[in-house]
Amino acid sequence: MTKIGLEIHCQLTKLESKLFCPCKADYREFEPNTNICPVCMGIPGSLPLLNKNAVEKATLIAMALDCKTPNKIAFFRKNYFYPDLPKNFQITQLNAYGNTSIGWEGKISVEDKEIKIRRIQLEEDPGRLIYEGATEKTKLTLVDYNRAGTPLVEIVTEPDFETPHQVREFLNILSDLLENLNVSDPGLEGAMRADANVSIEGGSKVEIKNIGSFHDLEKAVHFEITRQQSLAERKIEIIQETRHWDEGRKITVSARTKEEEAEYRYHLEADIPWVRIDDNTKNQLQVHMPESISSKKERYVSKYGITSQVAGILSSDRYFSELFEKANNETNAKDIANMITTDIMGLLDTREKREMSKLEGDHISDLVEYIKSNKITRASAKLALDEVIKNGKQLSEIIEDLDLGHVSDEATLSDIITEVLDEEVKAVEDAKQNPDIVNFLVGKVMQKTHGKADPELTLTLLKKNLGL
Amino acid sequence: MKSLVTEEEISNVAKLMKIDLEDHTAHIKRVQKMLEYFDILDNANVESEEITVQETDLDKLRDDKHNPYDKNLLKFLKSYQGKYVKAPKLN
Amino acid sequence: MDLGISALNYVSSIKNGEFTVEEFTSKSLERISQVDEKLHAFLRVNDLAIKNAREIDTKIKSNQNVGKCYGMPISVKDNMCIEGSKTTCASKVLENFIAPYTSTVISKLNSEDAIIIGKTNMDEFAMGLSTEYSAYGPSRNPWNIDYVPGGSSGGSGVSVSANECIASLGSDTGGSIRNPASFCSVVGLKPTYGLVSRYGLVSYANSIEQIGPMTKTVEDSAFLLNIISGIDSNDNTTIDNKNQDYLRDIDIGVSGKKIGIVTEMTNSEGLSAEVANATNDAVKTFEKLGANCEHVSLQMVPYTVAAYYTITSTEAGSNLARYDNIRYGYEFDSSGFEFNSYISQARSKFGPEVIRRMILGGFVPSAGHAGKYFLKALKVKSKLIAEINHVFEKFDFLISPTVPIQPFKFGEKIQDPVSFMMIDFNTVTANLTGIPAISVPYKITNGLPIGIQIMANRLEEHSLLQTAYALEKTVDLPEVPV
Repeated sequence: MTKIGLEIHCQLTKLESKLFCPCKADYREFEPNTNICPVCMGIPGSLPLLNKNAVEKATLIAMALDCKTPNKIAFFRKNYFYPDLPKNFQITQLNAYGNTSIGWEGKISVEDKEIKIRRIQLEEDPGRLIYEGATEKTKLTLVDYNRAGTPLVEIVTEPDFETPHQVREFLNILSDLLENLNVSDPGLEGAMRADANVSIEGGSKVEIKNIGSFHDLEKAVHFEITRQQSLAERKIEIIQETRHWDEGRKITVSARTKEEEAEYRYHLEADIPWVRIDDNTKNQLQVHMPESISSKKERYVSKYGITSQVAGILSSDRYFSELFEKANNETNAKDIANMITTDIMGLLDTREKREMSKLEGDHISDLVEYIKSNKITRASAKLALDEVIKNGKQLSEIIEDLDLGHVSDEATLSDIITEVLDEEVKAVEDAKQNPDIVNFLVGKVMQKTHGKADPELTLTLLKKNLGL
Repeated sequence: MKSLVTEEEISNVAKLMKIDLEDHTAHIKRVQKMLEYFDILDNANVESEEITVQETDLDKLRDDKHNPYDKNLLKFLKSYQGKYVKAPKLN
Repeated sequence: MDLGISALNYVSSIKNGEFTVEEFTSKSLERISQVDEKLHAFLRVNDLAIKNAREIDTKIKSNQNVGKCYGMPISVKDNMCIEGSKTTCASKVLENFIAPYTSTVISKLNSEDAIIIGKTNMDEFAMGLSTEYSAYGPSRNPWNIDYVPGGSSGGSGVSVSANECIASLGSDTGGSIRNPASFCSVVGLKPTYGLVSRYGLVSYANSIEQIGPMTKTVEDSAFLLNIISGIDSNDNTTIDNKNQDYLRDIDIGVSGKKIGIVTEMTNSEGLSAEVANATNDAVKTFEKLGANCEHVSLQMVPYTVAAYYTITSTEAGSNLARYDNIRYGYEFDSSGFEFNSYISQARSKFGPEVIRRMILGGFVPSAGHAGKYFLKALKVKSKLIAEINHVFEKFDFLISPTVPIQPFKFGEKIQDPVSFMMIDFNTVTANLTGIPAISVPYKITNGLPIGIQIMANRLEEHSLLQTAYALEKTVDLPEVPV
């Protein structure tokens, strides 16, 4: 049986500052080496100062993943030399003296399969390396320490996954969960990284590192399973080793064998006392934890009668579920949900667009109301949405500005219909043979009225006109 | 129970600690003697002891605020072209 | 103008207008230029000292608020960062390191208008007990220049003892303040772990080290402790001492106090005859002062040196890993090198004692050996703490000679690693347990100093200083011959 396990590193991008110093947690906007200080640079004599909120957010993650949490957490040093590590050790967590990492023994459901979480730990990200050229002549590694000290939560699963697809699903669920908890923006570049370990029946465990995206992860796992199966078929031993994912060639390549396991000399980080996390604190965190995605979904279905599919899409997106909560007034929930999932999600599909958007809950409920009372057609509504997103004006104003008012008086409509019939002679002929062509003519009327014509009335009038 | 640590082991540790020992015989004998002395710990009868640690409370920790460092730290470091830190190439 | 003046007397002299800050600073600088070529207490002297002195004199003349130190010249061990200044830890590896920020303790001194007159010599990265391991040459004992001044804060001890400055800040990991205090005949205090901020102190063994004062009198140590102690938001291991005044009631005496003479530290086999004599004398003195002295055994003491070296070399191995000469360090072009071979060569510039501790520090916590060495050492530490807690239920203080022997000649002890380590035998207990300990100059025998160590329970500096004061007041020592 195939066994796959994951080690996911997730940056706590929703924090203001780094794990051990007050530099910014989200380093992405900075020029190289301008988001640094004596602490994250490990300047001699500097000392780590633990971020209280990081501990709280990490504990939230542990709770959301159903983990056991300790009464005291401790930090350890993992010692090794690398240019992206300013101190040549990483401050991380370990369970060497009892359970002192942020969480352990949790679980999460993925497509009816229970995936066990082995442990969760809080640790710091290293800096970033840039290689100047890749030839023998350019013997330079350039280092940017802006990222050094960024808070990371490492989530280690048991090897409970059986297929690459499950892995992919899990990562999606985990992303949504972390975003919903308001601890991280998984969409930010580099915010979530994962390594995998794979073993097939009777074979050794192989670790795969250096995987750039979740898409690649699924591919890498799939490739590795195939590679191992092919070795097994030829009765060749599968060595326990670490392999790297080669993005270009889409294969895994051997990196180093487990025998050369690094010696990290783990020992306690004495500059950070053990932190007591009492039950009261944990209860407070639990009480204020954002509602879980599954709970939201269930609520949307049972309370508002929203379909399971729509509820699923809406609940798993933090931004839109918040918009939904603001917009809905119980009576229009279904329509709001539909508008969001059908029209709005497509318009605000990137982080930049969402940040620039001036759309508020009131706009959406107004829009739904207007459509219901025939003041505006669905087609016009789309145009109105575009405008609102841009300038946030009141809906009534926009409808006036853009003249989106419903065209529903018979006289005006009849005139336009007459125009269309004059122009579309062939279609009129065809329509008499094939009644479906009427829809084409409705479309033409809609075009002429810039989508403002009442579609039902238009259809009725057209049919009457054509004698259908 | 005397444990004589070998020259090879000490040499490997020096590699682990990234220190080039051109002539390590001078250090080896001394390190061996020190380690031999540490054997005394075996007589301390401390198997059942728990380790002692310093503790603090969550509310004593640093508040999560962004406070940019007010000086240009890069100029105190060995920087390269004013932006990056230069390191030797990696294998 | 007597350069041998205490800090407190200096302050009253300045207030009384007996001399100006500039006059005293100038005289101190003169003294340094006279004796330091021989003694080598200083690695660097502050060329802005006179300017600082003038500024403080101006403040005094114009009746502005002046800090408690009134411009007294204080030296600082070269492992504490001062912004814009070199901080070398007496190592070639940090030859060009200029600190970008100032240690908390020095900021505190600066805001009380102290003048930092210079950075003092030490054993490289604080690993040593004689200052023979400085990469820039040893310091010499002002009582006899053929003898070591102790270490690792040797330069600090010499600078105070030879009246090159009024006081000094040293650091103590296994006795590094108390040992040179004893060898140079000055007062040296290692505070409770966490009482004084380590922000800016270059880490050697961060779970046990502390910055502390080295002064001419016990009162001076109390005075400085008032300034440098207290909780610091830049150091998560600091404790709130609620602004204790360590000078208050310092002369209260020791009548009725229970003093334990630590058997394992006063065992005549381990002590030189002169030190054993001085210790017995000190006990009698305490009894005359009204204290009750009694022998007490700390069974874990014989294991403390091994535990200390195991723990500190592990921590040192980690704390010194950052010195790969990539971000800061010394001149050595990395062009053409591969990463691992470059840093291995760069780090071979560490001195021999540091290299040995790095090797030990790589070995004792490693996967195959941690159980036998590092973990056991941690457990010894725990058991020792429990013992100390128990002992302090019965006793108010513990005493011993600070060092089992008097100062020795250069090169004399450096050959045999085990007897070298044993010099720390009496001092490491206070570091491993975090309790405060002070060395009080007690006797000069054959021209060489002997200090008595007094220890108290955690955060009991106030009463510890009272007891040290009482002992000091019974002693009348000759002047330093330099």
